[in-house]
Amino acid sequence: MEVSSLPISASQRAKLLSAGYTSLSSLSSVSPSRLAQDLKISENEAAEILKIASRRSGLEKIETGSHPIMNGAQTAWEMLHEEESSICITTSCSDLDEILGGGIRCKEVTEIGGVPGIGKTQLGIQLAVNVQIPADYGGVGGKAIYIDTEGSFMVERALQIAEACYEDMVEYNSLLRKDSVAAYQVDKQPKDFLENIFYFRVCTYTEQIAVINYLEKFVSEHKDIKVVVIDSITFHFRQDFEDMALRTRLLSGMALKLMKLAKKFNLAVVLLNQVTTKYNEGSFQLTLALGDSWAHASTNRIILYWNGNERYAYIDKSPSLRSASAPYAVTGRGIRNSASNSKRVKLM
Amino acid sequence: MNPEELLRHPLPTETPKLTLGCPLLDRLLGGGVPIDTITEIVAESGTGKTQLSLQLLLAAQLPTSHGGLSASSLYLHSEFPFPFRRLHQLSLRRPHLPENPLDRVFVQPLHSADHLLDLLPRLDFLVPKFNIKLIVIDSIAALFRGEFENTPVELKRRSSMFFKISSKLKFHARKFGLAIVLTNQVVDVMGSSESLRIGNSVSFFSSGRRVSAALGLSWANCVNTRLFMWREDERIGSSENEIVGEEGETLENFQTRRFIRVVFAPHLPDSSCEFVIRREGVFGV
Repeated sequence: MEVSSLPISASQRAKLLSAGYTSLSSLSSVSPSRLAQDLKISENEAAEILKIASRRSGLEKIETGSHPIMNGAQTAWEMLHEEESSICITTSCSDLDEILGGGIRCKEVTEIGGVPGIGKTQLGIQLAVNVQIPADYGGVGGKAIYIDTEGSFMVERALQIAEACYEDMVEYNSLLRKDSVAAYQVDKQPKDFLENIFYFRVCTYTEQIAVINYLEKFVSEHKDIKVVVIDSITFHFRQDFEDMALRTRLLSGMALKLMKLAKKFNLAVVLLNQVTTKYNEGSFQLTLALGDSWAHASTNRIILYWNGNERYAYIDKSPSLRSASAPYAVTGRGIRNSASNSKRVKLM
Repeated sequence: MNPEELLRHPLPTETPKLTLGCPLLDRLLGGGVPIDTITEIVAESGTGKTQLSLQLLLAAQLPTSHGGLSASSLYLHSEFPFPFRRLHQLSLRRPHLPENPLDRVFVQPLHSADHLLDLLPRLDFLVPKFNIKLIVIDSIAALFRGEFENTPVELKRRSSMFFKISSKLKFHARKFGLAIVLTNQVVDVMGSSESLRIGNSVSFFSSGRRVSAALGLSWANCVNTRLFMWREDERIGSSENEIVGEEGETLENFQTRRFIRVVFAPHLPDSSCEFVIRREGVFGV
């Protein structure tokens, strides 16, 4: 497919062709800033062109691809392609990103559990901030929904993490764009990060179910939402459920809705879970709360735990990742690499 | 109820906080006790949790310009008797308080966890009527001790009750903008067995004994912020010039130092601070 068929202005088309971008595939891997430089246009304009190009190539794939037998069905080949292009939200801890294959995946439901004080909420807030890192900086450039069932979301902390994220962006800018005039300007201020977190505080399980049912409508009105964090999925379901079968039905209904949401809007769903002790063959073991049937609800399961004085994350369940663990640290600036781990790597 | 109404957007940039009545302790907590959430103080008896609670009852009455909530407070106590003399003593030495501060402290004894659950629905009526902005429960552990047997069925019933109490408290906190402070006791950790690590330290020590917060793992999920207070008895002066008089006098050479530490909190780093209890109240040093 040729660039000449894109619905863009004639001057933009001419600039593209003279800079050597003739086919759509040549545009597929170029960043907006690079394109802006090559074409001598603004970054916004370049991003717009790329958006149009990627939309067009997406359409083309569907048109030329084999016709599905059923509406919405895909072949495994198409799904593989789609997964390769799927986007990830960084955790700001490169060790953790590495075992996760880049970060928390969009289109998937990821469950994260651990003991109180291990950093579940911290990770949740970090993701709500990181999802907003613009595409120019290797991010997703989206918005976040944060559903707080426990009341642990503190705006002070979110602002702190956003400030650190902003500083990192300024530093990135000054390192990579020395030549550009706009080098030291990052157009996103820390307070803007808070603007883009849609925060729901739910106080009962009825409210929780109502909000989750409402999400589809809300997200379709706010298309740029790329992550939904539920902190925690568990809290309201650990009281007063005489009828465990009812609880299981409610939970699996919720899980199905969230999975559908993730697929439909290409967003990441992150569920935070608590741990509980389970009596098993004469001994008590730690396990994520809500029981065995709930374990099927999420695509990926990550368990956070203490190893000596260090925090570790362990991939307990994932269809595509091998199980592995990585250390991380909770710092004033948010989730980061564990300091002692980087030392150890140097020693080796 | 409309799910739209649960959205809070845009977010405020700061959570209102209630001062502890001492700038150093406030700094440890990033400004004070945050409203809308549950803050728990864990300590063995005689460390100062009740002292700090009493101080909070008075601090809540301070005008907002002085870090208070300019409101009344509700004190639910399961440990007897209520130390009203001490509260009175504290109230005489605190600046900026309104007149008759004791009139703005509502006290209610608690006899059991069920009693607490029966009481909670009445908050809908009590809180707006008396302009209550702070609820202190001293202590939550005493409600559960002894009432439940150590069998799986009973423990399950107990933990279900934890979540129920916590969620009702948070519901009211959210609805009326309350600060909620609970105190909890400690239990000794027996043997050298690896206990479950909750929060910033593998183990906590108080008076030289290894302890952990009472009520276990499921309760730890029910609070937002946990603070641990402990004491260390230190010998003062070197052993050579020790004044050894008659029997029992050596006790006077011991000095109790008290500390407070953040075990876990969504907005605070791991930090600690030493404090003293004086006639005027609890102060960081």
